[in-house]
Amino acid sequence: MSLTLRLAFHPRLHNVVRNFVTSCSKGAADTVVVPKSSGTPLIIEDKWKDDTGAVEDREAWVETLDNSTDSTQRGLIHLNPRIFASYPRLDVIHENVVWQNKSRMVNYAHTKHRSEVRGGGKKPWPQKGTGRSRHGSIRSPLWKGGGVVHGPRAFTTHFYMLPYHKRVRGLISTLSAKFAQDDIKIVENLDMPSDEAGYLEQLCEDRYWGPSVLFVDESDIMPRNITLATDTLGHMNLMPVYGLNVYSMLKHTTLVLTVGATRLVEEKLLYNLDRPDGRSLLTRFRK
Amino acid sequence: MASRGTEKALSLLRRLPRVELHNLKPNPGAHKNKTRGRGIHGGKTHGAGSKGSGQRQNFMRLGYETGNNPFYLRFPCQNYYKGHHLKLSYVPLCMGQLQKLIDTNRLRTDIPIDVSQLIYTGLFNVKPLEKEGGFMLQDDGMDHFCATLNLEVQWASESTISAVERNGGVITTAYYDPMSLEAAVDPIRFFKRGKAIPRRMLPPQNLIEYYTDPKNRGYLADPKLVAQERFNLAQKYGYQLPDPRESPHRHMLLEKKDPRQIFYGLEPGWVVSLPDSVILKPTDPELKEHYLS
Repeated sequence: MSLTLRLAFHPRLHNVVRNFVTSCSKGAADTVVVPKSSGTPLIIEDKWKDDTGAVEDREAWVETLDNSTDSTQRGLIHLNPRIFASYPRLDVIHENVVWQNKSRMVNYAHTKHRSEVRGGGKKPWPQKGTGRSRHGSIRSPLWKGGGVVHGPRAFTTHFYMLPYHKRVRGLISTLSAKFAQDDIKIVENLDMPSDEAGYLEQLCEDRYWGPSVLFVDESDIMPRNITLATDTLGHMNLMPVYGLNVYSMLKHTTLVLTVGATRLVEEKLLYNLDRPDGRSLLTRFRK
Repeated sequence: MASRGTEKALSLLRRLPRVELHNLKPNPGAHKNKTRGRGIHGGKTHGAGSKGSGQRQNFMRLGYETGNNPFYLRFPCQNYYKGHHLKLSYVPLCMGQLQKLIDTNRLRTDIPIDVSQLIYTGLFNVKPLEKEGGFMLQDDGMDHFCATLNLEVQWASESTISAVERNGGVITTAYYDPMSLEAAVDPIRFFKRGKAIPRRMLPPQNLIEYYTDPKNRGYLADPKLVAQERFNLAQKYGYQLPDPRESPHRHMLLEKKDPRQIFYGLEPGWVVSLPDSVILKPTDPELKEHYLS
């Protein structure tokens, strides 16, 4: 890690423990390769650690999008198991996906009922004496070309609100499921040396990311190079933390979070798991 | 949430295909179609059954037993329900729970605790319209209780009273009529209505006895008799009664509501305007006379 880069991203990281030598290798058989970078390796500790959970703390490599250095791994990050190793409720994930799809769906199908179809005001033939069946209008639903009973009426929205805690649960389940399947990657930031799409595509291919990749950063102002590189790529997208949602996470094969975004996601979701006014959110949403 | 089952599910997921939009589905049996099909697709009778009241929609009246002498006529005297329109139910508040609220900083102990404070923790709901009269202090977890409080509840037993007083606290049982309780449960909603704070009504006839009894620390009891009963209870349960007048928090401990008062620091007849942050007090002598307790 070059000196300038280290200085650039050092103040943004919390609880950085340096001089990391022990606890890196566990036994002789499976030694963990320590990333060989010019700077000291770093461990980013869990900020909201609690020892109550039976699930072990999760760890992930902190990588970099800079391919020019000798090692792409910068260190290790501890992830909160309540967010990244909680029970993967696939049914709740499904409910979230259905909700996201339906809430933006508007049905434009439209049919006319008997009063809206043109004509049909006059009684087609007298009630009695013709020998024909009784009819009052040629636009009755019984007639060909008549109105439609209980047909679809535009514009029907399918909008509804999923209960608040299910939405929180859906995000946590998706993050946990994706992390368990090695589809979440942590990077220190989204800085790249090149602004070409080919560079990013090659980088993702080398690391077995993708084919579709979602990059998530803290804020919605992204670094210039990655913005230009992903501009022409439909399958690599950028998203701020406030836009993170279940559908987009599943739509993309790999989710790439920056360290800042990871901590922000953890903070927001942990707050929602334990928020004191959780009861007030149970009230039904009204349009 | 976190358990060995979680670890197992996550390790299982590592060996399964990637969770994607196309392989998600709801739990089996979770989805049930609410509507029947139309026309020939709705089943033989569209769910109405054949013959009888199900088909004809003439539902039997409540309590009718198709020709039998109905229960309510066979046993006309059900004393359990006698005076049900006068009876109140209370929201249970366990002493252990109260201690937990204090330990987790959900409840402040430097101010007197009443219905509004308890509701403000966000863990309780009192519904005066459903004949709930407030909070009933229960002795579960009493051994862990160690806070010094000025507590006002609507019902308390002898043992819970002793637990509060043993720790140097003060407890009062007070009655709130439904209108006052509605205001005390959600003060902000009440203030937004822009109405004058009502006078708290006196308890109904069946509750007068409870709230005038010094043994229950009733708010209508003679303070001298209450002091005597505090001493008697300490003798009975065998503890040294701490004197709240010598406590460093004596101002908080000795603060007491007027029997007509709903909120601490606000008198009946006042109007609280939240947008202007102003309290309007009546000036008309007739109004003053009306709101005087």
